[in-house]
Amino acid sequence: MKKPRTEITNERAKFLLSAYRHNGADAQDPIFRDALEQATRDPDLASWFANQRSFDALLCEKLNSVQPPASLKPAILSGIYSVGSKRRFPLGRFLGVAAVLFLSGILLTVMQLRSVPDGHSLSDFENTAFAVLSEGPKLDFLTSDFSRSQEYLLQQAVPHASEIPAALHGLPTVGCRAIDWNGKMISLTCFCLPSGQLLHLFVVDAKSLGKIAPQGDIQEINGWHVKFRREKGLLLMFISKAPMPELIRYI
Amino acid sequence: MTRDIDLDLEAIVARFYAPLYRFAWSLTKSEAEAADLTQQTFLILAQRSHQIRDVSKVKCWLFTTLRREFLRIVRVHTNHPSTEFQPDIHDSPVLSQDAIRVLDGKTVLEALAAVEPTYRTAIELFYLSELSYKEIAKTLDIPIGTVMSRLSRGKEQLKAILAGAIAENNHKIIPMNRDEEAAN
Repeated sequence: MKKPRTEITNERAKFLLSAYRHNGADAQDPIFRDALEQATRDPDLASWFANQRSFDALLCEKLNSVQPPASLKPAILSGIYSVGSKRRFPLGRFLGVAAVLFLSGILLTVMQLRSVPDGHSLSDFENTAFAVLSEGPKLDFLTSDFSRSQEYLLQQAVPHASEIPAALHGLPTVGCRAIDWNGKMISLTCFCLPSGQLLHLFVVDAKSLGKIAPQGDIQEINGWHVKFRREKGLLLMFISKAPMPELIRYI
Repeated sequence: MTRDIDLDLEAIVARFYAPLYRFAWSLTKSEAEAADLTQQTFLILAQRSHQIRDVSKVKCWLFTTLRREFLRIVRVHTNHPSTEFQPDIHDSPVLSQDAIRVLDGKTVLEALAAVEPTYRTAIELFYLSELSYKEIAKTLDIPIGTVMSRLSRGKEQLKAILAGAIAENNHKIIPMNRDEEAAN
């Protein structure tokens, strides 16, 4: 039986077709059927509809040309991995535990070679930093803006670096975290390097660490590049897996 | 019937982070805040991914969550510039495709952000996420008829705003054809 022809005004058709996506994704939706049929019969409506679709297509094209910052995707991925879902990343968790055990072994060896004053030695600090990273750095505050990270850490009354290498100011951050280290507070700020690798900055009050003077050069410890720097009574510890040439430009 | 599904978060990020960022930019009008909001939305997804029962709904869920998160942060809309719209003057302008083509994406995004708040979110979701009218209705929790109405009026308003932006950019009157179908 032939389907009865439905009358629809052009105004009603335009109203409906304003919700029709330019890419034809709604072609099978029955709500548009009468309006689409009307557009095949009425040349004026057809012209309006063609213009509307061209306008929509052009607008989508223009809007899609706005690209997010290059650092956003790695920052998002870093954030979601830090959540550490049991269901989603069983292999990651296994590797994390393995990494903790492996690092603990290395750090125990290192600790035997150093003195440990009052339970807050440099090696304890390193140990804590590596443990935090091996778990996946769970951040308290997510932001791409370094100054906002600093504001957050200031509010938390946590040691944070007021002066960092100038090149770092141009980098977006992933976020930051305040860490309680046996009663002493440490801050962690994560930067996103252009390569997509993360650069972690741990800051602690240098007085907490006794008399050990850390080296100023970049060292390699178990695949991590580590550099210490003293700044106004604070000890800054930079840790990253980024390649050395890239790190040298920033720290 | 529902069942547990395993979301490929990396694939979801790769597919949706750019349109979500653009939507966030249109809401916040700030690159840094848009990046933070996008990041926060995916973090919420990672935390609540076990609640997702239907992978086909993830897109809609992400845009809904981003908007809710934005509203939670700002609480009230105060900073949204509104543009006076006079339907009797600007009814159904047809912009020259060439005139629009010379605009950059940011200008179009700004024009989108200048649409009246009543219509704006539906229009943003239509263009930035390419959600269907049904998905927009679900995202905004409003009836389908209301979405249709907002899209229809919002698009007319957007054309008027774009015409203004083009005129301002070119320092000259933009040729604008009247839609003669209006009285049909």
